[in-house]
Amino acid sequence: MGFGAIGSGVGSGFPGGEACLGIARQPAVATRLTTNMLIGSAVCQTPAIFSMVVALMLMFMDFGSLPFSPTWAALLGAGLSTGLAAIGSGLGGGLAAGASCGGISRNPDTVGQVTTTMLVGQAVSQTPAIFGLLISFVLMFKAFPETAGLSAPMALLGAGIAMGFGGIGPGIGNGLTAESAVKWVARNIEAAGELTRTMLVGQAVSQSTAIYAMVISLVLIFVV
Amino acid sequence: MAIEGADLIKAAAFLGAGIAMGLGAIGPGVGEGIVGGKACEAIGRRPGEAGLLTRTMLVGQAVSESTGIYSLVVALLLLFVV
Repeated sequence: MGFGAIGSGVGSGFPGGEACLGIARQPAVATRLTTNMLIGSAVCQTPAIFSMVVALMLMFMDFGSLPFSPTWAALLGAGLSTGLAAIGSGLGGGLAAGASCGGISRNPDTVGQVTTTMLVGQAVSQTPAIFGLLISFVLMFKAFPETAGLSAPMALLGAGIAMGFGGIGPGIGNGLTAESAVKWVARNIEAAGELTRTMLVGQAVSQSTAIYAMVISLVLIFVV
Repeated sequence: MAIEGADLIKAAAFLGAGIAMGLGAIGPGVGEGIVGGKACEAIGRRPGEAGLLTRTMLVGQAVSESTGIYSLVVALLLLFVV
């Protein structure tokens, strides 16, 4: 939860700041900017909400009946996975939302296209956090056989670390791509189709590292 | 319970695989995002060059990706070979 709040906290600050600058530049569009800022910030919050859900589940669910040995590592891994992966997605979503507030204040007529591009870009930025959540749920709900050794718990802890840290980079990277795409849709609306396509191709490549991390996590949980 | 040497080595290899892939993915993820963002910026300025720019973006991202693939290879080696 602590880690998860870092990204969303900083991320939500970007649209807030850009909206203030934008309102100062163009007070006439203040209402539209505020609406856009709130939508963008709300999406930034979701990774923090994922972390909170996982944290609450870890605190209040009854794991007492499960064997101690691999379960401690699975639960620690579950917390790390969503918590760390949320940092990147929170920041990334914020970059896209900030650019959209900047773009709308510069060119208020593009508001529809800009908001759409922002939401598509944020949705892709969100996926590493969703991968993290998925791995957390697997770690929390899969029944692991009791073990006396150290290798099984370390595999589960490693799975959480791989997905958690692995989600940070792609989350930020997808956000950087979305930020530029949104900014330039606002400046050059004719190129919106080309920009959205390039953004998605660029994000897909950046996403691949998160998918590698997920593959390693799943191998650590299910294969070794 | 007694933790034996072989078990300890496996445990370290599993944890190491997780750390390798996790930390190794941060750099390429951010780097490829920067490339993607700059490509979008350039297409916004000059939509006519979109094809060339997309190609350059993919080549640049592929190079940045290679460090992620190194991490993946090391993680797989730690999991299955060591």
